Amino acid sequence: MAAGLIALIRRTIVAVVVGMAVAAVLRVRGRGGVPPQTGGWRELRDDELA
Amino acid sequence: MRRPQATPARVIVFGAGATGARVVRMLAESPEVGRVEVRDPDTARLRRTVDSCDDSVTAARGLEMPPDADMVVIATPTGTQAAAARAAVNAGASAVTTSSEISETRELLALGSLAAENGVALVVGAGFMPGLTCLLARAGAAEFDLVDEIHVAKAGTGGPACARQHHRALSSLAIDWRDGSWTRRSGGSGRELCWFPDPVAGRDCYRGALSDALLLVPAFEGVERVTARLAATRRDRLTAPLPMMRRPHPEGGVGAVRVELRGRRAARRHVAVLGAQARPAQGAAIVAAATALHLIGRADVSGAGGLASIRDTGRLLRAVADRGLRPCRFEGFTLSRDETPRP
Repeated sequence: MAAGLIALIRRTIVAVVVGMAVAAVLRVRGRGGVPPQTGGWRELRDDELA
Repeated sequence: MRRPQATPARVIVFGAGATGARVVRMLAESPEVGRVEVRDPDTARLRRTVDSCDDSVTAARGLEMPPDADMVVIATPTGTQAAAARAAVNAGASAVTTSSEISETRELLALGSLAAENGVALVVGAGFMPGLTCLLARAGAAEFDLVDEIHVAKAGTGGPACARQHHRALSSLAIDWRDGSWTRRSGGSGRELCWFPDPVAGRDCYRGALSDALLLVPAFEGVERVTARLAATRRDRLTAPLPMMRRPHPEGGVGAVRVELRGRRAARRHVAVLGAQARPAQGAAIVAAATALHLIGRADVSGAGGLASIRDTGRLLRAVADRGLRPCRFEGFTLSRDETPRP
């Protein structure tokens, strides 16, 4: 009975840790889009600031 | 309307950190300012700032306002600015604040009626973002018939207080304006690759507790969506709910801001992307100092609002550019497209 309870607790802890690891990987992987394929930055001229 | 300033102005600057110390130096060098009083609870930092300037800069402490103060610039950590702003407005002095915190921005905007009653201006969020982003939004909006969407983003942090605010913002609730109502979203959500002016370039950006929408929505009638994001690394996102693991650097590296406007021009969809790059503390100081100088002697500006709401933003943006914070525009992309006008 006690051995079964300990196994249940152990499995629960393992499941929680694995779940947290998967959530962390899902949270940080990938990128938020595709960089622009054309175009670039240029400074505004004085007459464009108004 | 510009009231001639009979004598050079007396300005009080709260905060002698990365932003405040620069504001003090810029104001002290201006011929429009005769005396700058700087206040900071850190005595050593206060002394360093005063010693780095000429005799026109003096040190002081506390919140008490002298009756002859013309302008107050508040560059203290977010969460501490509302008390100083209230003291300034009560004393009949215009104030320029740099806060980017949502609750404090609301508190500052709520002082608007008191400021209008006293005939003084209270500028809320005159920093790198919000601040320069509000000016860029206003400048970009000039080429639209109607602005539907404004999306702003920032990369980088200034001094330690700014870095702590960045850390808090990433784990706190964000506020977006969407289809005419406020929406709460989780901080750290909504990843989007934003392309900033070089050398910052592409950075993944996320929602955060940023006050920009509170300042932009009242300034752009009919706008349907306003969002604000900040750049973060994977480590930033993972550690956002935890206390900061180590002390922030005295100052961060080069940062950038970006403003994307979407709307209609001559019955077609139109998109404009503006930005600027600078060290965020330097950028915030330029915007705050230029705003203070812009307002000194003006009798036609009163009430509280962001930089997109004040008059003559074109002249202010030129003053900001003249100080080395040069706005840029992203060109050559094909997002604009023909569209039949709405009935």
